[in-house]
Amino acid sequence: MARPDGDRIVTIEALGLEKRFGAFAALRGVDLKVEPGELLALLGPSGSGKTTLLRTIAGLERADCGQVLYEGIDADTISLRDRRVGFVFQHYALFRHMTIADNIAFGLKVRPRRGRPPRAEIKARVEKLLELVQLQGLGGRFPAQLSGGQRQRVALARALAIEPRVLLLDEPFGALDARVRKELRRWLRRLHEEIHVTTIFVTHDQDEAFELADRVVVMNDGKIEQIGSPAEIYDQPATEFVYEFLGGANRLPCRVEAGVALIAGTRLATDLPRDFSGEAIAFVRPHEIGVTRPNGHLDDLAHVRSILPIGPDARLDLEHQSGHIEALVPREALDAAGIGVGSRCAVRIARARVFRASS
Amino acid sequence: MTLALDTTPRVRRTRVLPGFRLTLGITLAWLSAIVLIPMIALVSRAAGVGFDGLIATATDPRVLASFRITFGASLIAAAINLVFGSLLAWALVRWRFPGRRLLDGFVDLPFALPTAVAGIALTTLWAKHGLLGSIAEAQGWRVAFAPPGIAIALVFIGLPFVVRTVQPVLEELEPELEEAAALLGASRLQTIGRVVLPELIPALLTGFTLAFARAVGEYGSVIFIAGNRPGQTEIVPLLIVTKLEQYDYAGAAALAVLMLAVSFVMLLAINLLQTWATRRHAR
Repeated sequence: MARPDGDRIVTIEALGLEKRFGAFAALRGVDLKVEPGELLALLGPSGSGKTTLLRTIAGLERADCGQVLYEGIDADTISLRDRRVGFVFQHYALFRHMTIADNIAFGLKVRPRRGRPPRAEIKARVEKLLELVQLQGLGGRFPAQLSGGQRQRVALARALAIEPRVLLLDEPFGALDARVRKELRRWLRRLHEEIHVTTIFVTHDQDEAFELADRVVVMNDGKIEQIGSPAEIYDQPATEFVYEFLGGANRLPCRVEAGVALIAGTRLATDLPRDFSGEAIAFVRPHEIGVTRPNGHLDDLAHVRSILPIGPDARLDLEHQSGHIEALVPREALDAAGIGVGSRCAVRIARARVFRASS
Repeated sequence: MTLALDTTPRVRRTRVLPGFRLTLGITLAWLSAIVLIPMIALVSRAAGVGFDGLIATATDPRVLASFRITFGASLIAAAINLVFGSLLAWALVRWRFPGRRLLDGFVDLPFALPTAVAGIALTTLWAKHGLLGSIAEAQGWRVAFAPPGIAIALVFIGLPFVVRTVQPVLEELEPELEEAAALLGASRLQTIGRVVLPELIPALLTGFTLAFARAVGEYGSVIFIAGNRPGQTEIVPLLIVTKLEQYDYAGAAALAVLMLAVSFVMLLAINLLQTWATRRHAR
């Protein structure tokens, strides 16, 4: 498969998209710009609107409000055929009564006579695509004779056959088992490096989003919470929701005085305005917490409930007056401080992100 | 060595799930009592006329005409049902409109209505001065007491078979298939012709077969609307009844056997076609 021509790589923009299904608001004002050639993940829990956003970009749903632009042109004015969207469905949506080769050739065969490649060329292209998705020699089979992973690759080849300007994948690996999913993920990443077509995929699996995507869009409740590279999202979650969704972080209620938070006995500067005082929520990742011998203070004192060694580190279950805290500390430090199950220790917070308590 | 012999796995023919023999036994006994034994009785009765008698019956012009009208009208009716029944099923599955449930219920009426009632109603409707018959008459078309009337009665009784076989398959058809086709650039017609219809073929064939088989055996509704003129609008079941009324039991049985043979051959042909269509499908 040849590298797509310059004119095929397009910028896609969503402007103020809103969509309701009855009483349910699936999209509530979504703005997004997809850069040419990038691999973008839409990440969020179910019901967050990510699939609706993808389907709206594809043209399978029409937004109640707002616009989708393909290279600056209102997509509503472009027919589905002329959009040249390669779409891969979660459950493949292969045509069961057609062979694999016929499935892949479908998009070429249905073209009007003028734009349709000659039969021999279609055949050659199908062969190339079969090779690209590593299914050489299986062109004569029927979808039911393939495994799930193979079927999903056929779906991808079928979508690529029309030389799409953008590739949209809806939970592409959702129906596959964990091992196949990992393999396909890596394979898709390589494929994208090879053909560089603008790609958007929907997932609820953060590992998948972080491993594959150049940029990740975190969605919640019909809105975008944060857009950024995987590292940006992991290092600086923009909102409480992103922290919660990424998981693994301790959620500690705390008190902020003049922009400084008191979290489990540790005083930390925050990004909150200097003049802010009041209740807040601090998010602290387990490795951002240290423990020392008790030092006589009461507000940082915790009770060690359990210790689980993980390689050179240990996962600690701590009971603090503000709640349950999970910490990940080097085992050496534990031994040095003489901390064991049932003993008491002092908690040290190295880093935290503090958000105003919403209610 | 004897030990080694003992451990050689033997081919075990028992099945994991019990009940095979019992269920097969019941199936065969039931099928025999309900279908096979009456059929054998019929054939043995027909044997009374002998082979020559059978040939004579088969080549009688009145009989030949009745076969033409029965099978011809049944085929036409089944074909009409195939088209409009599928459209009806499509509308019931795809669209949500007020009164859909009610309409869905109406589809089963021909199952429940005594066929004689249907025949009388249709005859009243399509007779020369009937509601629809007067309109047809104005166009110069004769419906009641003519072959079109027979076909209309057969369309009526066959409709639910097509709708009820196609409907569940349409319901199961994922909308994603049509969406995928559209995004790949297929027009609406191409999508229906290349994606939807091929998925429906087995169900369409089944519906057609059932509607056809039902039409061939129909008696009650047709005799009211047909007019029953020998050689023109006389159906085979009526001819059989006529023979019975003349105490010509062997002749009636001979006719029945002929009818059975023709029906069987046609149904077998459709079944083979269906097997072929299904095999092209996913296994």
